[in-house]
Amino acid sequence: MPPSANLNLPSRPLRLLGGAGIAIGIAAVVALVFWSIIVAAADEPVSARSPVDIPHLLRMTSIQAGLTTILSIAVGIALAWALNRLRFPGRSLVVGLFAAAIVTPGLVVAFGLLSVWGRAGWASQLAILLTGEPLGVSIFGLGGILAAHVILDGALAARILLARLDAIPAARLKTGQSLELSPWQRFRIIDWPAISGTIPGLAALIFLLAFTSFPIVLLLGGGPANQTLEVAIYAAVRLDFDLYGAVLLALVQVTVCAAIVLAASALTPVPPSLGPSQGQKWGDRGAAHLLQWSVLLLALAAFALPLLSVLINGFGEALWSVVARQSFWQATGTSLLLATLSAALALVLALGVAQARAATARPLLRTGIGAPSYAYLAVPSVVLALGFFLLVRSFGINPAHAAPFVVVLANALLALPFAVATLAPPFDAISHSRGRLIRSLGISGRRQFLSVEWPLVAPEAGVVVALSFCFSLGDLGVISLFGTQDFTTLPLLMVRSLGSYRTNDAAAIAALMLVLTLLAFVLLPRLFSRFADARP
Amino acid sequence: MVNLSRLALAVGLVAAALPAAAEEVPMLRVFTYDSFATEWGPGPALKAGFEEDCDCIVEFTTADDAISTLRRVQLEGETTEADLVVGLDTAIAGEARATGLFAPHGLELDHLDLPYPWTDPLFVPFDYGYFAYVYNTEELPDPPASFEELIALPDDFKIVIQDPRSSTPGLGHVLWIEAAYGDRSSEIWEGLAPHVLTVTRGWSEAYNLFLSGEADMVLSYTTSPAYHAIAEDDDRYAAASFEEGHVAQIEVAGILASSDKQALARDFLAYLTSVEAQKIIPTTNWMYPVIDLEDELPAAFAELPKPETVLSIDEEAITANSRDWAAAALAALR
Repeated sequence: MPPSANLNLPSRPLRLLGGAGIAIGIAAVVALVFWSIIVAAADEPVSARSPVDIPHLLRMTSIQAGLTTILSIAVGIALAWALNRLRFPGRSLVVGLFAAAIVTPGLVVAFGLLSVWGRAGWASQLAILLTGEPLGVSIFGLGGILAAHVILDGALAARILLARLDAIPAARLKTGQSLELSPWQRFRIIDWPAISGTIPGLAALIFLLAFTSFPIVLLLGGGPANQTLEVAIYAAVRLDFDLYGAVLLALVQVTVCAAIVLAASALTPVPPSLGPSQGQKWGDRGAAHLLQWSVLLLALAAFALPLLSVLINGFGEALWSVVARQSFWQATGTSLLLATLSAALALVLALGVAQARAATARPLLRTGIGAPSYAYLAVPSVVLALGFFLLVRSFGINPAHAAPFVVVLANALLALPFAVATLAPPFDAISHSRGRLIRSLGISGRRQFLSVEWPLVAPEAGVVVALSFCFSLGDLGVISLFGTQDFTTLPLLMVRSLGSYRTNDAAAIAALMLVLTLLAFVLLPRLFSRFADARP
Repeated sequence: MVNLSRLALAVGLVAAALPAAAEEVPMLRVFTYDSFATEWGPGPALKAGFEEDCDCIVEFTTADDAISTLRRVQLEGETTEADLVVGLDTAIAGEARATGLFAPHGLELDHLDLPYPWTDPLFVPFDYGYFAYVYNTEELPDPPASFEELIALPDDFKIVIQDPRSSTPGLGHVLWIEAAYGDRSSEIWEGLAPHVLTVTRGWSEAYNLFLSGEADMVLSYTTSPAYHAIAEDDDRYAAASFEEGHVAQIEVAGILASSDKQALARDFLAYLTSVEAQKIIPTTNWMYPVIDLEDELPAAFAELPKPETVLSIDEEAITANSRDWAAAALAALR
């Protein structure tokens, strides 16, 4: 059905144009990146190619990502179930902690995990204290990768599923309560239908995150047996300088990811819904209640302990020497500025895409507008870095001068998949429920946004800004080839300290970054909700 | 917000001021790796030292590490703005030479004190060290004295190494085993496999894992213990001397043929090998200086044991085979 014939939706050609422009723009950037690398590859003599066993890598990466997905969804369902039923002081703080999982820098989580579960970690020291024997578990290898991924992605899954459970209408719960459903019946009859629609999209998102995971896999992988395609691409660019090989590998990865993105976008979109959760008053009793507490405490231990260890390791003597340095404040200023700019850009892009998607009912157009937003999840960052570098140079710009702009763009694109997934569902819901009314009243697009949409989506917009801000804050990203000494971000400063034997400084910076991330993640959405409430 | 806008202004001003300054005073642009130019590295002191006499401005442009530095030069080719590359090493010098982008340095380097005599017409050495496993003497009073002794230890004796595809020490480790064992290398790698805790992307992740107690030894340099002794007043760390001998990593600098400041670049290289500049190197880059500093070498360096046997592989052999050797090493670990 052509959009003009759809009487349920107001005609919004500008929105469609804007959304299409963003989608085409992103697709063009990705295409230009690949093109510029292929052009550069043509200038290089064909060097020796190190053999890359693509099927083997695909198999290993898929096994790892598949296991991560299954485990994260299972953990996410259990944790969401427990959090939905339990009432306790500080519940919203705990929920916020899980929500922040996804933006915590991967390397920080990996080192936190090590100081709890490593050979010299807390768990092992406790075991020595209790039994005299160190803990015989190794955190390295597939197990370590899965543990780190499940901590990050399981918490994300829990937060998203919790939002679905918390949104179950009170009437439905009352009926269930009066029928005296057992905890199991309640889960099967009331909870499961509320969350089952979200699971495919969520699974796709987690699969993509695990499929392209990089720092965790390298650090905890234990060696070349556990590698992702992303690692092989990194090696092709860096050591072998095999640009054709890198492009080929990157295209394989993009193809796999695109298939997953397209499959997932045909299904229901995943609304991250990371705002405050309401909860409900009907708690379970007996064994189920006990089980819920155990699930929650286990999850808290698994997730909070590594982060706590980052804080404890960081807040030592080195903290004062770090804070006393001018370079630290310079890096903090740069990071905050970049994070603010890329959050603003991500919000604008996501609003454009979400509005355009909601303005049409044609599935193909909706997919076409939405799918390019996922580009950054699929295109390896080393390929993006190289491509951006070559592009900037081919425009005759000094890479050092272009670095801040490239970082802002790259960080905005990094957050875009989550931003679109957060903003698209509410916009869709508004055009479903009020599209006909808006059309019949002849409200302009601008008024529609300011009076109808913005007040309703402002809390989600706050989440988008917080997400993008935190992603940008922790990103090491694409500037490895651009760098000058004048341009330093906090993560870059952390890595530089590590590279100069200054591990204590690095630990202090990691802790400060974590505090900043958590703070931004708690405060920014509240700020935006207040904006929305202040409106009549 | 005031600070942010002030920062934005400052960034803008710096960007605007750079080209203007370049016209008045010649600007020497140096490509180097990141840790060389950080506030703790030798970069700032070398810049200040050279600028005193050169009537020029030294600007560092950085990439992650030595390999990325070479990659960036290769990508930019003759259109590069850089005049010099500082921080390649003997393992990638052959590849750098083959690009044809470097010009002869034309310096007399007879005064150098290196593991072997230096005759390279393109590259000038500025520091060196030997690859070695570093350990904590309190935790490990009796370290292995050869690869074979290391292999014979129980499997729970762990080492951390770096990926030869992304890290210079990682590649140096491959060359070390190749130089010591040749055809038997794959046997050594297979023997090492159960001891390898993990293979990291770069030196810093590996060293951090070692310091946090995850592994008994880490692949680093014989000079690493000097950092702990001097900067942290901690003399628990030592490098294990291996009977097979050790491979040296010599870090080098070269002038780009495309530079229009050949004479200035040559002056910088001459300065880099002067006593004044070499005194900066040990306590900033934590490597040996390339000239004999005699009493000026910090005691912690002078006390470090130097390997009895220095192994080396010809540059042509490295350039021709290093990929295959790295692939074979990784295959053995898989």
